[in-house]
Amino acid sequence: MHSEWTDLLSEYLDDELDAVTRRRVEHHLAECQSCAAVLNDLRRIVAVAPGYQGSNPSTELWPGIAAGIEARRVVTLPRRTGARWRELIAAGLLMAAAGAGATWYWVRGTVPAAGPVAEPPVLTAATPAGLNSARYDAAVAELEETLAANRARLDTATVRVLEQSLRSIDQAIAEARAAIQRDTANAYLNGQIAVNMRKKLNVLRLATRAIASET
Amino acid sequence: MDDVALAAAGDAEAFERLYRRHVAKVHALARWLVGGNDVDDAVQEVFIRVWQKLGTFAGQSAFGTWLHRVAVNALLRRRETAGKLRARLVEDEVALGAAMAPVRHPDLQMAIERAVDTLPAGAREVFVLHDMEGYKHDEIAALLGIDPGTSRSQLHRARMLLRRVLA
Repeated sequence: MHSEWTDLLSEYLDDELDAVTRRRVEHHLAECQSCAAVLNDLRRIVAVAPGYQGSNPSTELWPGIAAGIEARRVVTLPRRTGARWRELIAAGLLMAAAGAGATWYWVRGTVPAAGPVAEPPVLTAATPAGLNSARYDAAVAELEETLAANRARLDTATVRVLEQSLRSIDQAIAEARAAIQRDTANAYLNGQIAVNMRKKLNVLRLATRAIASET
Repeated sequence: MDDVALAAAGDAEAFERLYRRHVAKVHALARWLVGGNDVDDAVQEVFIRVWQKLGTFAGQSAFGTWLHRVAVNALLRRRETAGKLRARLVEDEVALGAAMAPVRHPDLQMAIERAVDTLPAGAREVFVLHDMEGYKHDEIAALLGIDPGTSRSQLHRARMLLRRVLA
């Protein structure tokens, strides 16, 4: 193998040499088996490289992405009148309740009964990958405080449904967290915790923005 | 309606399907171009960026090609913002030693992917961009802030180091 020639082989392979140099390289390759073997190796590497498969991440990243795109959707919502806000909150609550119910059903294996939902137990399960626990808790606390201080600005029917839905979401999160402690590798449960945490945040944001629009 | 069109219209479930289809390659790109403990965060950032830019995908290239371009730009910008660019282009003798160690694997494709992990940073980045992602040397030079001649020499160096998987 001759380095003065092999140093030219990548450019030869990529057709980046001028015509004169290219002919000189070809002449050498015709006479030198070791340099020709190097060229053959490089050709195989270049042929295989574009077909790389990659590898899946070892942790589930989708919940964090879902939260990220959902947050951007909420942030870009236009300001509305009070009546329109009530419609948005109603739609948000409907979606949140549906998602929470799905988790409840998955965890319990039965359709949740109608009526009041018990307060969730205090749990210490880790926050799902992709959601920053401290930031999430701070954001929720701030929004809940705003809501508590200003709930009189919303009509009583909206407040009642809002509180019931938030309890359902909390229940769904708690149930999924309890279940994941028994089955720590369950990606579905991990995803459902993140989805419901995100829904809670979104419902609180909608409610507080509705309050702001009524001011 | 395909998943790209559905996702561009705001369908998060369709976007999740796109994510599942492409995450392995994007994760590899993040590992090769960003590395360290930032890989998972970088992948999430890439897909959020892709979601935001879906409306600009004109369909003139394959969606995967477009997504990889967005990913490469986002990953390099993230790295630059973190002030890591210069440090990663500095020669890493430890990495060079690892790259020269013999590797034997029956599957050439997988062997090369694993061997790319061990290349020195400068050679790895140019190899990934040129041979795996199809960028030209002028484009790589602009992206990495290096001379096109440096890009060529790093590419050749990477290929020569990767020859060990053929041993």
